[in-house]
Amino acid sequence: MIYADHNATTPLAPEVHEAMASALGASFGNASSLHLAGQEARRLVERARAQVASLIGAQPDEIVFTSGGTEADNLAVLGAARALPADQRGVVTSTIEHQAVLAPCRYLRSLGHEVTFLSVDDQGRLDMGALAAAARGRGHEHDHGRHHEHDQDHEHDHGNAHDHGHGKVGLFTVMLANNETGVIQPVAGVVKEASAGGALVHTDAVQAAGKLPIDVAELGVSLLSLSSHKLHGPKGAGALYVRRGVDLAPLWHGGRQERGLRPGTENVAALVGFGQACELARTRLGVDAGRLGLLRARFESLLRARIPEARINGGGGSGAGTRGPGHPGDGRLPNTSSVSFAGLDGEAISINLDMLGVAVANGAACSAIDHAPSHVLVAMGQSEALARAAVRFSFGRDNTDADIDRIVELVAQVVTLLRGASA
Amino acid sequence: MSERVAVAMSGGVDSSVAAALLKRAGHPLIGVTLKLRDCHDARGSRSCCGVDGITRAREVAGRLGFPHYVLDCVQEFASLVLEPAWQSYAQGRTPSPCLLCNERVKFGLLLRWAARLGIARVATGHYARLLRSADQLLLLRGRDGAKDQSYFLAGLSREQLERALFPVGDLAKPEVRALAKQHDLPSAETPESQDACLVEPGQSFAEMLRRRFAASAQPGSIVDEAGRLVGRHRGIHAFTVGQRKGLPAGAAGRRWVKSLSPATGLVTITSRAEELLGRAFIATEVSWLAGDWPRQPLACTVQIRYRHPSEPANVTAQPDGSLRVELESAAKAITPGQAAVFYDGDRVLGRGWIALAEPGPAAPPVLPARPPS
Repeated sequence: MIYADHNATTPLAPEVHEAMASALGASFGNASSLHLAGQEARRLVERARAQVASLIGAQPDEIVFTSGGTEADNLAVLGAARALPADQRGVVTSTIEHQAVLAPCRYLRSLGHEVTFLSVDDQGRLDMGALAAAARGRGHEHDHGRHHEHDQDHEHDHGNAHDHGHGKVGLFTVMLANNETGVIQPVAGVVKEASAGGALVHTDAVQAAGKLPIDVAELGVSLLSLSSHKLHGPKGAGALYVRRGVDLAPLWHGGRQERGLRPGTENVAALVGFGQACELARTRLGVDAGRLGLLRARFESLLRARIPEARINGGGGSGAGTRGPGHPGDGRLPNTSSVSFAGLDGEAISINLDMLGVAVANGAACSAIDHAPSHVLVAMGQSEALARAAVRFSFGRDNTDADIDRIVELVAQVVTLLRGASA
Repeated sequence: MSERVAVAMSGGVDSSVAAALLKRAGHPLIGVTLKLRDCHDARGSRSCCGVDGITRAREVAGRLGFPHYVLDCVQEFASLVLEPAWQSYAQGRTPSPCLLCNERVKFGLLLRWAARLGIARVATGHYARLLRSADQLLLLRGRDGAKDQSYFLAGLSREQLERALFPVGDLAKPEVRALAKQHDLPSAETPESQDACLVEPGQSFAEMLRRRFAASAQPGSIVDEAGRLVGRHRGIHAFTVGQRKGLPAGAAGRRWVKSLSPATGLVTITSRAEELLGRAFIATEVSWLAGDWPRQPLACTVQIRYRHPSEPANVTAQPDGSLRVELESAAKAITPGQAAVFYDGDRVLGRGWIALAEPGPAAPPVLPARPPS
């Protein structure tokens, strides 16, 4: 099998496996216990914390371990929102976030927070004009003449939040890189806009970590989510970076672990694996990112040569800067390629590739008639039909040039087959 | 390369063995489990449509080494199968939803979904056989007479059957079990009727449908054959012609539902078994597989419900496209709404829906008269 779905999950790195196996053996203690066995477990957890912190330029005491990216996102969004001052309860996010951010934001709206969902351009990059308007606390309400122009966002709360006294934005949450398209978002720009009003900024860096260099100081965010299994660590572990001095309300109660923000006995072996995976990612980042960029460039140029009508989502246009699509550093994660095959069905392509031994994602559940199109591609202005025609290829450390050549060959075969089937 | 096949897998023994046989024959395979209802509907039930079936099917596919997918048909199943079934009950008929499911879902939606993937064939674990020759395609009863499921497939069109495969149709149930054991596959049974497939314990299919579609029940009176009021009922959908259970306790012996009147909500019961006998009915919306439409009266056999012997009959085409069916000897409780399936020996000729069950011959009564009370 050729695995090209690394944005879904990655295989455990051998070094991680080894570190975990050793932690699963003798180090069974409870990290909260006073005795030596407990101290050994504590030592392992704290070493892992330092390794995770090091990947993103944070201090170890700024890392709160969680069960994964979804939990980190929930803790960031809900925990921050609950701690916001009464006159600053507004939340700003984007339409292309992962459900782990979108769903808590919708929940906050149901609690009475004003939540603004910012639109993106046709290359999947955050609309900076809409961001600036939202940051000035004026949102869409300010200028009714332009209201509908901006209103690609069906979820926006149209009520005038200022009347309720909580219209000032207290939290921005925008992902660092999109999981479907790989498009890198201007989070530093979000921080800049947010800083004037004193709002917190959270970024979901689950897909970016290990693929892009991340420095929380440089980025300027207050909160940042990480997931272990996206960077060759085990599932069931993640972290939230919480900048010193930032106040979060706990979502769970019952213990003092993780500063009371994530009570419960630590999963020592998983955290050891996560720490090891972060250390590996940090030391390999330059090499990995360069290699992945070359693999992706090879994939996209071969694919375009074989299937000229294949369209690369987020791979060109204004958001990509001056360098062309497929070039490493074109504004996307180096490993991700979202491709739409107009007139075909992404699900059909994915299943056919699966039968031929290639694992990719189509980003939609199997449904008889209408599977829901990707909310990210629809937010980029694509028709539902085109959004359903997308397949996501995401490469990893273990992929080779030969894998790429084989994948392109099989994609071409499948596309030919399906053109025949739909004719 | 051998022909690619999508095999519909319920997680039960029959479709699992069907998949194993296709795999052994070298077909590139995908397994598909149809999700027919939302998870919360399936709580606590052991149904072919629930999550446990999906889990078992995936387990089997993984063990046999081919990918497995779940196809979400919840909405389509409701509109194509459940809603017509409810309409049928509401009109005093007794539907055959399993046939509709095969005709519209398994060999409708699933077939089209597979075609979209470039896969022309769909296999199921039904006990039925297909005999293909250059100019003929025959649908035959399963080799194992006790398991035969051709009744449920009899409404499939020629086009649908051309793309169908029934790998276990040539096997007897014990052979299927042995193959399951040999391939280390789970041996759970696939439920075979709507009662097993869709209903939670303690709930009737009709009542489940009524709640599903938030329909109000049509209450009415229960009268005996002389027109005397013997009780009231809370909904005509709860009755089936020939039914004995759930009738008001009466003074004398056994009683059966004789007829239902949706217009008035009247349920007529009888204590005379011979009143249930009928010799003729009309088969509507006929799907005819056996070549030419019978222009001349045709002698064949007809099966008026699943797991019921087929009976000799004469079939005459009506001007409106229906068939008039005359049974050679009277049958008990010919039930409107059920499928009538026509056979020539083991060969399926076609199916229609039973309508307008007519009374049997006036005389002589076939059963001995009731002893004087």
